[in-house]
Amino acid sequence: MVEITHLDASPDTRVPKASVRAADGTAAAATLGLNFGSAEQRGETLVVRIRPDEWYLLGDGAPAMAAGLDLSGFASTVDISHSRTAVRITGDCAADTLSKLGSADFSDHMTPNGAALGNGIAGVTCDIVRDDQRGVRSYLLLLDGSFITYFLGALHDAASEF
Amino acid sequence: MLLVPCPNCGPMNAADLSYNGESHRRPDPKTCTPEEWRTYLYLRENPSGWLLENWYCSSGCRRHFKIERHTLTGELRAPVLPGRKPGATQGDMK
Repeated sequence: MVEITHLDASPDTRVPKASVRAADGTAAAATLGLNFGSAEQRGETLVVRIRPDEWYLLGDGAPAMAAGLDLSGFASTVDISHSRTAVRITGDCAADTLSKLGSADFSDHMTPNGAALGNGIAGVTCDIVRDDQRGVRSYLLLLDGSFITYFLGALHDAASEF
Repeated sequence: MLLVPCPNCGPMNAADLSYNGESHRRPDPKTCTPEEWRTYLYLRENPSGWLLENWYCSSGCRRHFKIERHTLTGELRAPVLPGRKPGATQGDMK
């Protein structure tokens, strides 16, 4: 059983998103921390270090956290709530579903809870965060909103066998 | 499937990266001759053996890197980020 939810399709589940670019040694990078490829829930915000010099702030607390960062030096923040859209796929077979569409290793060994990675899913470049919900395997996928209709179709098609 | 080891992300499907061709240094356009500039723009070594190539990790860390590939066997070795020594990664800050 796999549950696929387009979070940004409803005002009740919409995910505010901010991108923070910060070079090594800046105050923003020190504040956000984390190792490349990992995520951590801080209050109402999921902080994701998705690239070596880029963090995503996801959730209701993201705008306030982004606004509160010290952006001195080579650092900037951009609200990406309306360019990137969020899809959550939850269930014991969520990894099997994604494995049919992408080439990353979604096993617990390589992508445990809290892991973050970029990978092509059904040909669409996605940022993926393993973000288990109440002990159930779950992935938060961020992708360009333009692809969402095709992408949801591909996900549902892949999940139909589970 | 060709597995390309990105210095940051680890082994990646080559389909998730962009191949940017043979790596060679650009001559100084202010001092080079037209022949040197033409060679830089259009001529490639295309050896049968080890070749230093440019790749871009478009689906992962979005970093350019260089890697040596054997054009006969497809073997890959020594990925390196620009300006860094082989084996170094970016983003190991805690």
